[in-house]
Amino acid sequence: MNLNVDAGKGGKKQKIQVDAPGKKKKGGASLDIKKARAGWIFVLPFILGFVLIYLPIIFDSIKYSFNEIDILVGGGYELTFVGWKNYSDAILVDTSYVTTLVSGLKQLVLDIPSIVLFSLFIAIILNTRIAGRAAFRAIFFIPVILSTGLISDIDAANSLSSYMEESGGIDDGSGQESTATEIISVMDVERLFDNMMVGTEIVEYVVNMVNNIFNIVNRCGVQMLIFLSGLQSISPAIYESCSIDGASGWETFWKVTLPMVSPMILVNTIYTIIDAFTSNDNQVMSYIATVYEQADGNVLSSAMSWMYFLVVILILAAVAGVLSSFVFYQRKD
Amino acid sequence: MNKAQSSPTIKKETKNTIRVEFDRTPFWERMKAKLVNLYTLKKVVWYLFRFLLMLGVSYVILFPFFSKISSSFMAPEDFVDVTVRLIPKHPTLETYKAIITDNKYFEALANTFILSLACGLIQMFICCFIGYGFAKFKFKGNNLLFLCVIFTMIVPHATLQLSLFMKFRYFDILGIVNLLGGGLIDALNVTGGTTSINFINTNWPLYILSLTGLAYKNGLYIFLMRQFYRGIPDELEESAYLDGSGVFRTFFGIIIPLSMTMMITVFMFAFCWQWTDNFYTELFYTTAGAKLLPDIIKVPKSLDTNYAGQALYTSAINNTCGILIMAPLIILYLFGQRYIVQGIERSGLTAD
Repeated sequence: MNLNVDAGKGGKKQKIQVDAPGKKKKGGASLDIKKARAGWIFVLPFILGFVLIYLPIIFDSIKYSFNEIDILVGGGYELTFVGWKNYSDAILVDTSYVTTLVSGLKQLVLDIPSIVLFSLFIAIILNTRIAGRAAFRAIFFIPVILSTGLISDIDAANSLSSYMEESGGIDDGSGQESTATEIISVMDVERLFDNMMVGTEIVEYVVNMVNNIFNIVNRCGVQMLIFLSGLQSISPAIYESCSIDGASGWETFWKVTLPMVSPMILVNTIYTIIDAFTSNDNQVMSYIATVYEQADGNVLSSAMSWMYFLVVILILAAVAGVLSSFVFYQRKD
Repeated sequence: MNKAQSSPTIKKETKNTIRVEFDRTPFWERMKAKLVNLYTLKKVVWYLFRFLLMLGVSYVILFPFFSKISSSFMAPEDFVDVTVRLIPKHPTLETYKAIITDNKYFEALANTFILSLACGLIQMFICCFIGYGFAKFKFKGNNLLFLCVIFTMIVPHATLQLSLFMKFRYFDILGIVNLLGGGLIDALNVTGGTTSINFINTNWPLYILSLTGLAYKNGLYIFLMRQFYRGIPDELEESAYLDGSGVFRTFFGIIIPLSMTMMITVFMFAFCWQWTDNFYTELFYTTAGAKLLPDIIKVPKSLDTNYAGQALYTSAINNTCGILIMAPLIILYLFGQRYIVQGIERSGLTAD
């Protein structure tokens, strides 16, 4: 009974409260409005930059891709509208753009699963108890800081480390000489997969993945940390109840760990795609950069990179669409 | 209770204490029962496997650094000697000396340090600000604006190469420069005509991009900060508001000290990525006037590379340049790595 009376009173009180902000408005803005204003002030630097600098740059870039540009001697520049000429040049006249684009995208599609899977694997191992965990974590994160920009450019043109890794040919009985730089040879894997009824494509993919290990490890630092943070946010109580119910580690992984980190898989896949296709050592990007250096290549490279951007946006949308239907969210609030 | 064992004997020692004696299973027997079984074996094997795998991957990451460091101490003779792999026979510091004096390493280091420090600090505060705005305030267009942040992250910067250059070569926002004429140009100490400013070969383009949260990977920093602030309970700020503190006082007094780890993370990223950046520096610094770290990667004049081991020697020299560039970052990383790891782990990064 008491509760009911309270509820009634509460209702009346609410009525009074509804009036209160109305009266207050004459004096000053309500808290919500004040907070909204403060929010605008906090975001203001970005809005200013986006509207005054970024949008004009995007607009200019699109505009340049439809124009020919001439830098005048006295300063200033002159644009002549040429329509779709740059785009058609990129596709039809330039001999290597389309092939580079196709092989670059193929490489992207092959790299992404291996990077995401490898970083998940490493994160799961790092999340267990192991001696020197902090040291391993620090080591795995080194490439994120150090293998960017300049350093990766130096590495790309580096014949030294491959020379040092060479330890003479290893005769694997296949007639071909494989070097230690190729950690495993195609022959070994083929022998391994011989009776397993899998196609040669898979064999090649695995071999490439293993031989590319340095590249893959270098690129999965951030993803690994994101997975780690996801793994650590899983409540230990879930694992405890699993082990009490008698689930094996294998079952726990598929039924608990994987669904719980599936949002991270989505984030990481998208991050990896963005990272892979905006990085300078990507073959399409480096091709576009070389085109930019050529005479009259700057507008052509704009057109090329816009086409590239469109293709990757499509891939991104497709991947995000497919993956998000598999993602499991623990709570929806 | 335990009938299998001989029943323990109880002796009364004094009035209040008793002593119980019973046959214990010997220590070795107990340990044997505990450790020599399939379960322990499985655990040990799995542990060893994990540990060796981690060691192997660490080796893959660290080996190139070892090879770079060892080759930087090699004399030219070592590169033609087949017996020399990792340990130089004629250790020398000539390569370092030549790079430091001929390529003006310290000048470039100082310039890059100033640029990276300024950009790092600006980006840290600005992204902190913007991220907080996105995380804690509901206003119209919040989500749309955040989509714009994601958009700036997705567009590859090479797409904007030409227009970025043009923007800062002929810099003029809404005709303000045109209006003010020469005054602003003198004030900023840059050259240019009366209708626009020429910002090329100054630090201004990078400062302006940093100030507006548009520089390299700033979208990622804003995203990280936003996720972090969403993890901070609203009650904290509400209690501050109740005590009469304004939005900004709450931000500077309570939120900033709380987010130190995350801010250090963002600063380290911004600093290191600006340090090794060669896209923006090549774009905005066209003449040799501004000495930055990318300019020192070349073979010094005093070193003679014209002999049989040329290719290897040149790449060793380039790697030595790389080591000199990385050295300050490695020191910074040794001190700051735990902040990076903690920062991201605590950000509670989720996909929502």
